[in-house]
Amino acid sequence: MDQSAPSDLLSSSTGMLALVALASAGLVLLMRPGPRSLRLAGTVLGLAGVAGLFVEVLKLASGGVGAPPIFPVIFGVTAVASAVRVVTHPRPVFAAIYFILVVVASASLFLLLEAEFMAFALIIVYAGAILVTYMFVLMLAQQSPVEGDGAANWYDRVPREAVSCVIIAFVMVATLTQVLFHPNEGERRLASAQRGEAQLEDARWNSLASLPQQLKQTVRERLQLSATEPIALVTTDPASCIGVEGDQHFVIVTVQGKDQRVDLTAADLPVNAQFLGTTLVRDFPASIEVAGVILTMALFGAVVLARKQVELGEDERRELAGLSRLSVETDGGSNR
Amino acid sequence: MTSMLASFDASSVNAALLTSALLFGIGLVGFLSRRNMIVMFLCTELMFQAAALAMIAFGRVHGNADGQTFVIFILTIAAAEAALALGLVVLLYRRRETLDSEAWSELKEC
Repeated sequence: MDQSAPSDLLSSSTGMLALVALASAGLVLLMRPGPRSLRLAGTVLGLAGVAGLFVEVLKLASGGVGAPPIFPVIFGVTAVASAVRVVTHPRPVFAAIYFILVVVASASLFLLLEAEFMAFALIIVYAGAILVTYMFVLMLAQQSPVEGDGAANWYDRVPREAVSCVIIAFVMVATLTQVLFHPNEGERRLASAQRGEAQLEDARWNSLASLPQQLKQTVRERLQLSATEPIALVTTDPASCIGVEGDQHFVIVTVQGKDQRVDLTAADLPVNAQFLGTTLVRDFPASIEVAGVILTMALFGAVVLARKQVELGEDERRELAGLSRLSVETDGGSNR
Repeated sequence: MTSMLASFDASSVNAALLTSALLFGIGLVGFLSRRNMIVMFLCTELMFQAAALAMIAFGRVHGNADGQTFVIFILTIAAAEAALALGLVVLLYRRRETLDSEAWSELKEC
């Protein structure tokens, strides 16, 4: 097609590769304990690399026209920066708190992607439940720092093989960005997004059709009927009780012996949570059962592990204290 | 059709995919290089987060709720994993009185 396309493609790819390398170099500097100036340099390098990547990627999305939208960049950079702090912070408690910031930032990205229910579920489950568990375990298992001058434990300060780890991650992220943001990929994604938008409309109308109670409620409100008025949906098409005429969706109902046509608008479509819920129980019923089994097994496993730790921990303590396991004066359940 | 197209926000999708790739890479670095077992598991949660973000972004592209549905299952697995892994961490901590994963590099007791 275009003569300049291959060179454009090459420059965009290598540019992105260079930016990922820049960010990785910044991460290496941040990982290792060092003087303040080195860490500052790492922060600057990393932020420059990440910001450059975001600009490049958003340019790809808009085709280079118009100002890039601000919110995806803010949330994305916040998530990445706090993730770096999770990895580099010498104190695990602060790492956990920065992880909450990652969760909040990616929940905001979920909101931008119109996944409202999952955004709040993520905050409740991750920031609310899982992070509280982490905090409890940190309190249970955290050693007090040996030096006593507020310094963290040495194994929290000194990373293991920081350079090789960052190289591994660099290869991985470079591959991912090359695949995800290949210039041809943008067009393909836009094409499937066009198909996807049409499918999304159909899918949401279908999920409304499988919610007859809500449909009747809508009809009652539209016709200003009382809640006890009996109405029946007339199904003309066996696949769906919602008819389509051009762009207009409608439903035919029987009220007081008469058939009546009620037009539906986009405002009557189920909201994100209803849509997600109907998809979940209609398309993935077996998966819900499996998820329940997994959670139950995790519960049993956690109980077994927790029981084990009390008894074995006691034996271990005795050994550490130089006592024999058979010493009798504090035997049995007196310690529990 | 044009109004539907306008509602699709390619820049949000791209930003989410980039964030997901970077979060996964950072989580990988953390898991491989940190010595503290709790932080290592925190980094696996980071990688779960990246996967969830990619799921939602691609679900948005393909215009159905399957991506979001899968994130519900990711949350389930993450919760189960957190309960079990943290139970194990506490167990290991009781044995060696340290959270350093190097203490277990021999893969045997004492």
